[in-house]
Amino acid sequence: MTALDLSSDRPARRHSLALSIGLALVGLNVAVAILTLFCTPYDPLNASGGRLEAPSLLHWVGTDRLGRDYLTQIMIGARTALIVGTGAVAIGASIGVTLGILAAFATRLLDDVMAATLDILIAFPTLLLAMLVVAASDSASLWSAILALGLAISAIVARLTRILAKRVLRQDYIIASRTSGTSWPGVVVRHVLPNIWPTLSVNFALQFGLAVIAEASLSYLGLGAPPPNASWGRLLQEAQGTVYTAPVGAIAPGIALVALVIGMNLLADGLRDVGDPTRGRSR
Amino acid sequence: MSALLSVQGLTVSTGGKTLVSDVSFSIGSGERMGLIGESGSGKSMTAMAITGLLPANISVTGSIMLDGQEVVGTDDKHLNRLRGVATAVVFQEPLTALDPLMKIGKQIAEPVRRRLAREQGRVTRLAVDREVLDLLDKVALPQPERIANAYPHEVSGGQRQRVAIAMALACRPKLLIADEPTTALDVTTQAEILKLLDGLVRETGMALLFISHDLPVVAEVVERVMVLRDGIAVEEGAVADVFGNPSHDYTQTLVDAARVFDEALGRTGS
Repeated sequence: MTALDLSSDRPARRHSLALSIGLALVGLNVAVAILTLFCTPYDPLNASGGRLEAPSLLHWVGTDRLGRDYLTQIMIGARTALIVGTGAVAIGASIGVTLGILAAFATRLLDDVMAATLDILIAFPTLLLAMLVVAASDSASLWSAILALGLAISAIVARLTRILAKRVLRQDYIIASRTSGTSWPGVVVRHVLPNIWPTLSVNFALQFGLAVIAEASLSYLGLGAPPPNASWGRLLQEAQGTVYTAPVGAIAPGIALVALVIGMNLLADGLRDVGDPTRGRSR
Repeated sequence: MSALLSVQGLTVSTGGKTLVSDVSFSIGSGERMGLIGESGSGKSMTAMAITGLLPANISVTGSIMLDGQEVVGTDDKHLNRLRGVATAVVFQEPLTALDPLMKIGKQIAEPVRRRLAREQGRVTRLAVDREVLDLLDKVALPQPERIANAYPHEVSGGQRQRVAIAMALACRPKLLIADEPTTALDVTTQAEILKLLDGLVRETGMALLFISHDLPVVAEVVERVMVLRDGIAVEEGAVADVFGNPSHDYTQTLVDAARVFDEALGRTGS
């Protein structure tokens, strides 16, 4: 804004670059996912193409073993990934933040019990937990995977929220706000949540990426969304046998997966810097 | 006579350690009283006990009658109705007493909104905004619009303390508790803040409980003082009596120390 701002210019620009790339990657994914609701290059079940065709003008990323268009399946996979990430983080965030705030206010004994329980839950491998939940449900479906991942995320979010909220509750401005007559619920809404949000949101984005990867792993193992729902994990699994003859089938969904996860992390970093007024500001 | 605040036999202890022991005093409406003593003498503990905001592991016994309501042993929900109505507090550290992620205007608006809702039952955004700017103006902050839109880290320490005072004033409390409000500020700013507090207390007619370890500062704004040492009240009386003719050795030491300090600084310098 002014000529005197030279010192803060560099970090501000770097932050906004991370934000821009993150926004672009995630935005592209969202746009593609929405697009698949209306149209895709081919019908995902249309096996009219040749077997394992190389990329061409007709099939930009080639075709799979059954002659189905890869691009179409990757695009639908983007939708699946977004649904899983959003669903799992939404479940994890709502349960986790509520539990974490309650734990921060709980009596010493209750708090200790909750902290120990959360630690045990977190020590349990996420993928194993997800596999158990999926196995326990009648059939492998996207929703049981989302629920399982959401529960695993909620334990991590609860532990983080508890620690962050406790730290905020010790601050002078909480007491100051209380002395002017703010109730505890008021303190949570006006001071605690806004002050833990920058850290939480970064964690949410991180968990989003991990959930997408976990779903891909489940699908790879055949425990995710059953066919014909396209998922990047299942695409990778199907391409495994032909990885030397038609590497595009493995590379393309891999790139899509990595791009979304990296995009989500960059977006989180960028958002944190924008959301925190005491950091380098983009003007 | 029913005092605004009447503290009787207040004892605060934690883990077998007594922090405040059998302290009694009272403050009438519009009266200004000082509580002095060195760090750890129980001044701030006494103040927090009055607001009922001491942590659960600190036990309080005795009686604190605030605006006709017993504070000791009353549940938090009832006490919360007294906070901001009967009392408001200005703290020592103006940076940490403000939420770093909330714009200054918004922080002041909260107690304003609560008071307007209480007094008029109806709150319009316009009325709140006008009151916030009015308060910022009252504590002599330049460009109230700019300050209202700034975050706490964007204004100076002295300005932050003015904001904290504006927040306390927004409640229009019957008793203002100022807990070392000038300790974290430089000498020039100290004098300005003191003058501001003094003027505001006189203007609004609220009572003042001023907590400090700094004798000259206390003497400037209050009529009556109580000297605390290790949680025990060693002396109480009018400012002129206590400082002019201390009856307790400890007070004498404090007065001497302040005098030596003043002389070292040079009267003209401060």
